[in-house]
Amino acid sequence: MKPVSFTINGMAVSAEVEPRTHLADFLREERDLTGTHLGCEHGVCGACTILVDGAPVRSCLTYAVACSGAEVTTIEGLDNDEVTAELREAFKREHALQCGYCTPGMLISARDLVLRAPDADERAIRVAMSGNLCRCTGYVGIIRAIKSVISARRARAIAPVAMNGGALGPAGSRHSGSETVSELMAGRATATPVSAKAQRPAMDRDWRPQVSFEQSFVVHYPRQQVWDFFGQVRDVAACLPGASLVEEPTDNHAEGKIRVKIGPITAEFRGEADIERDEKTYSGKIIGAGSDVRSSSSTRGMINYSLRPTDGGRATEVAITVGYTLTGMLAQFGRSGIVQDVASRLTAAFAQNLEARLGGKALEDLPVSGEGLNAGSLLFALIRDRFKALLKRLFGTR
Amino acid sequence: MKPVNFAYEKPRHLDDALRLLGNGSQAKVLAGGQSLGPMLNMRLVQPDLIVDITALDALKHCEKQQDFLVLGACITHADIEDGRVPDVTNGAMAAVACGIAYRAVRNRGTIGGSLTNADPSADWISALAALGADAIVRGKDTRTIPVESYVTGALETSLGENELLEAIRVPAHSKKARWGYYKVCRKTGEYAHAIGAVLLDRARNVFRAVIGATERKPLVLADAKPLFQGSDDLRKFDPTAADAMLASIGMDDPLDRKIHTVALARAVQQASA
Repeated sequence: MKPVSFTINGMAVSAEVEPRTHLADFLREERDLTGTHLGCEHGVCGACTILVDGAPVRSCLTYAVACSGAEVTTIEGLDNDEVTAELREAFKREHALQCGYCTPGMLISARDLVLRAPDADERAIRVAMSGNLCRCTGYVGIIRAIKSVISARRARAIAPVAMNGGALGPAGSRHSGSETVSELMAGRATATPVSAKAQRPAMDRDWRPQVSFEQSFVVHYPRQQVWDFFGQVRDVAACLPGASLVEEPTDNHAEGKIRVKIGPITAEFRGEADIERDEKTYSGKIIGAGSDVRSSSSTRGMINYSLRPTDGGRATEVAITVGYTLTGMLAQFGRSGIVQDVASRLTAAFAQNLEARLGGKALEDLPVSGEGLNAGSLLFALIRDRFKALLKRLFGTR
Repeated sequence: MKPVNFAYEKPRHLDDALRLLGNGSQAKVLAGGQSLGPMLNMRLVQPDLIVDITALDALKHCEKQQDFLVLGACITHADIEDGRVPDVTNGAMAAVACGIAYRAVRNRGTIGGSLTNADPSADWISALAALGADAIVRGKDTRTIPVESYVTGALETSLGENELLEAIRVPAHSKKARWGYYKVCRKTGEYAHAIGAVLLDRARNVFRAVIGATERKPLVLADAKPLFQGSDDLRKFDPTAADAMLASIGMDDPLDRKIHTVALARAVQQASA
């Protein structure tokens, strides 16, 4: 717990809070100020918008502990505010609310706009209000209400509030920090690893992945040799950075996990997969499912691969089709492109490792290994070279 | 949607912050928290310790030097949008700032946080690379590196464990500098699907172009001439050259390449207007 003091709607408040408590929870749970609504809790919907030091902020993305010394104003604190009163009237008149869930956030964002932008036209109002979502009135009434308040104030020649004074930095942070830094406390919360029961992949033939993409690469070994290697599940898994098997695999079934790191996010998917191979066509299929307990996300995926001889039989082209569906928090956060980028890096790393293994390199000497794929600049060197080659082709020397 | 329990410190001195980061725990730096916050709430990031750097005065400092503007890492998008900091880019930075997410986010989100979070679709990693800005990184020593090297991949930077981004140094434009910045969003304020940026400043012999929101680090051309048939004439923009470059960095989807090429073309159009 950490001590925090600030004012809420003009009243001084001191409390002990868990650092993870965001302002919206603090206001609602500790102060019964339930006019602040929580919608998405990740900064998209705007329902929780309040004022901190006079500026609108997302109270779901602002920790109470970070606002020591700040002035916090919620919708309850704007009862006697002149602009808010005008907006309330206009919202009522223009049918700018129905269920009212978004209204506190709408009013606070609208008040800020009215004060700062006396010249805003309809388009500017729409842009400015785009961070507040309403699911019932359809915005027309809301925009009309705000427009009418802006016009009325313009008619009364009320000047905008200047926003170019004041200290720099995030709203609410402009006051004091801790005088001294306490020694890193013992007993800090550590995430207890929860043992994940691997999920049984449902081998549903009708399942269609949400996202799919194709990739191919060439290894400089004959097809039969690559094909045989692909039959050894343990060796194949070892070529995938961050992957490991939890049980001895059979020819058509494997249980394992893979750890992937994307910036500050680390996900470890545990699961199992069924493997099919067709000797006649040199192709195979891996169908699996797994979940990451930490982020409560799960995935189902299908990989089809086929091997084609190239370079007069001396090399093999490996064509892969990957299809997957990701659900849970990672999916909510992730734009599919980043996931695909990670998958491409994994494929590139796999190709490099495969090449090295086929050439007789020992497991510990594989070019790309480690705790888990760090999605950093793995592919960068490769891309840079291709890019340079292109510039050279286009423009001669460079 | 609640974060895991974490310890929290808000040091007032840079050395204290570096010491907290360097003691081997799973520490995360928090500035405005507008990118990290959602990840924490969704428990995608589960740190032991949060080091809030917004009480460090050095990081909220802003200084106009001879040919540069030095912006502390904790300066917010709204600070830039509202002109609370000086401008050396003929308004280019303010225009980028006011297009970031929403006002409530801009009031807390910081330029340094956005850059260090290095989301490929965020604005500053592309805009600052196009402006030719440098990242000033404080650790044991201070190092100054170009933004395009600071960002190493999607959500990845070259920042070491014991390092903090202290400031961003933006070179001053000459009066006649031409600038264009265009992003493709389906909804106002969302993360961009494509970003194009171009800066032509003949007086300083600078001609840069960036294609961003590529789901990896932005494509930065420190010399943009290859996109303009070898010239520095904005009217000679060659979309096929941009298309070929995007293909060469592995953007396989023709639609994706088209959107990115169009974003750049519109940025060029702005710059030549």
